[in-house]
Amino acid sequence: MTPSWILDILAGLMLLVAAISAGRLVAARPWAGSPGDADIDVAHLLMGIAMAGMLVASLSTLPNDVWDVIFAVLTGWFGWRVYHESRGEGVRVLADGHHTPHLVHSAAMLYMFVAISAPAAAGGGGMSGMSGGASAMQTLNAPVVAFIFALWLIVYVVLDLDRLSGPGHGHGSYFARPAAVPADAALVGAAAGSGSVGLATGSAAPGGGDGSVATVPPQATGPGQPTGNGGAGSGSTAGSARALLLGPKVAAGCRIAMGLTMAFMLIIMI
Amino acid sequence: MSDVAVAGGQAARQRGQGTAAEGIWQPPDTRRVLQLALAAIWLLDAVLQYQSFMFTTGFSQMLAGTASGNPGVIASPITWDARLVGHHLVLVNTIFATIQLLLGLGIAWRPTLRVALAASIAWSLGVWWFGEGLGGVLNGAASPLNGAPGAVIIYALLAVLLWPSDRYAATAPFPAARAVGAPVARALWLVLWGCLAYFALVPANRAPQALHDMIAGMADGQPGWLAALDNHAASLLAHHGLAASIVLAIALVVIAVGVYLPRPAARATVVLAIVVAALIWVFGEAFGAILAGGATDPNSGLLLILLALSYWPSRAVATAPEATAPAATGQPAAGQEGAVA
Repeated sequence: MTPSWILDILAGLMLLVAAISAGRLVAARPWAGSPGDADIDVAHLLMGIAMAGMLVASLSTLPNDVWDVIFAVLTGWFGWRVYHESRGEGVRVLADGHHTPHLVHSAAMLYMFVAISAPAAAGGGGMSGMSGGASAMQTLNAPVVAFIFALWLIVYVVLDLDRLSGPGHGHGSYFARPAAVPADAALVGAAAGSGSVGLATGSAAPGGGDGSVATVPPQATGPGQPTGNGGAGSGSTAGSARALLLGPKVAAGCRIAMGLTMAFMLIIMI
Repeated sequence: MSDVAVAGGQAARQRGQGTAAEGIWQPPDTRRVLQLALAAIWLLDAVLQYQSFMFTTGFSQMLAGTASGNPGVIASPITWDARLVGHHLVLVNTIFATIQLLLGLGIAWRPTLRVALAASIAWSLGVWWFGEGLGGVLNGAASPLNGAPGAVIIYALLAVLLWPSDRYAATAPFPAARAVGAPVARALWLVLWGCLAYFALVPANRAPQALHDMIAGMADGQPGWLAALDNHAASLLAHHGLAASIVLAIALVVIAVGVYLPRPAARATVVLAIVVAALIWVFGEAFGAILAGGATDPNSGLLLILLALSYWPSRAVATAPEATAPAATGQPAAGQEGAVA
């Protein structure tokens, strides 16, 4: 079978994605204002945990039946979001929609958990996780579906990479929606010359009204250069880290890592 | 390149820089879409290379098998390579898979496009020899239905044709001609499809049961519906190998010369090429045997479809080269000279 250290590395990567997604959820503070991409971050968090458990049996957390329900709900949720998006954008949403890749990710996860077949003989394809025990090699029923999902996920990976490396990747809401970022994060981002000076909108003024959060577009994600204004302390650094964490590059990076790993899992379980 | 074109290019670059500075994302143009498709296939290859089977001696035996029937000068290095892989299976296969992963990611990531495409050419040539035994071209086993002239050589061809240069963009009648020019692109197309026509007619492939056996042999290990398709197609061709080979060869010759025809006819032959390639991919190659496990790539059918798409005649020759050089070149706003033609 595929060497266990490769599966270990990928499981570690998925746990990292889960941790980053959890960090994004905390940083965005969806309970304090705009929900931003909370649904996507929750989905990534759950997928990261589930995939790590599929890759390495010792990291398995919940029974497969529970994951079935979770990913059925997520698939339904993102299907609903894509449907709403398509009402405005039509079929373009399939290539350009904000939620479409997450619908495919959720559906692929649901398929993987539902289509698990009886363990194959040792030396066959598959992985050791998925509640099957450390020695069981899992394969998928209806392998053509796995192949289609894998291709689809790979297509999203290359589209994301192209978009991320092209001009203007930070504009629009393709990778990350404007989220509620703490005001200090927005201000530090502006002071760091990240281009967000004129972009922070809403109640960004410290102490002004509810003033605890500012809606910051995705491009306001400077890498947190030293501000040199003397007023930036550890709080500013934390704010800068928050802005970075909520930026489109991190969102895209999580999506790319997850899509590629998922495609890998689908193919090796054929 | 004319001075006018150069001046136009500078103007376009200035416009493009403005665009980049404004940071407005533009959708990829046709050539960039094809490059991304190539990147996706490299990523698929990488994932396939990480399959369990590739970490077994079956992989090195598969490599060694490609030496069979080749001249000694070709076969000996293949045998040596297969032995090396057999001795260091996990390490070598991991390196192979990772290289393909990096090629796919590199082509999709715009700043590394040129490096990745150049590396993919070198890698493809190496795999064509050491991994595919030159696609069976020299041992008489090559057939259009079994991946001749070697799927991986088509990766190299695509990398050349989709190179991010707009040297001939002003006169390019199709995306594949933008970098190398229409005469060279057409000649490459003619040679490839002409070779496929020749392979269709070699004695081993025109024997009464040759096509039947080849297609029926692909059914093993496939999902039921695909095995049934293959078996049905094989039974249709039973004892009709010669007639089927002649029909296939005629279609391939028409495709080969089609790029020299006027645009409507050229489009028709490109459509024919896509149809023939799809039939080859489904019936002759069973989707590269990916669904049966143990495939290292999707085989030639998918690549031939991608190649045919890169020869799709553009609406107008002397217009802007799809106006999105940043997407095409991987560099912000470089090479929009075609706009002035």
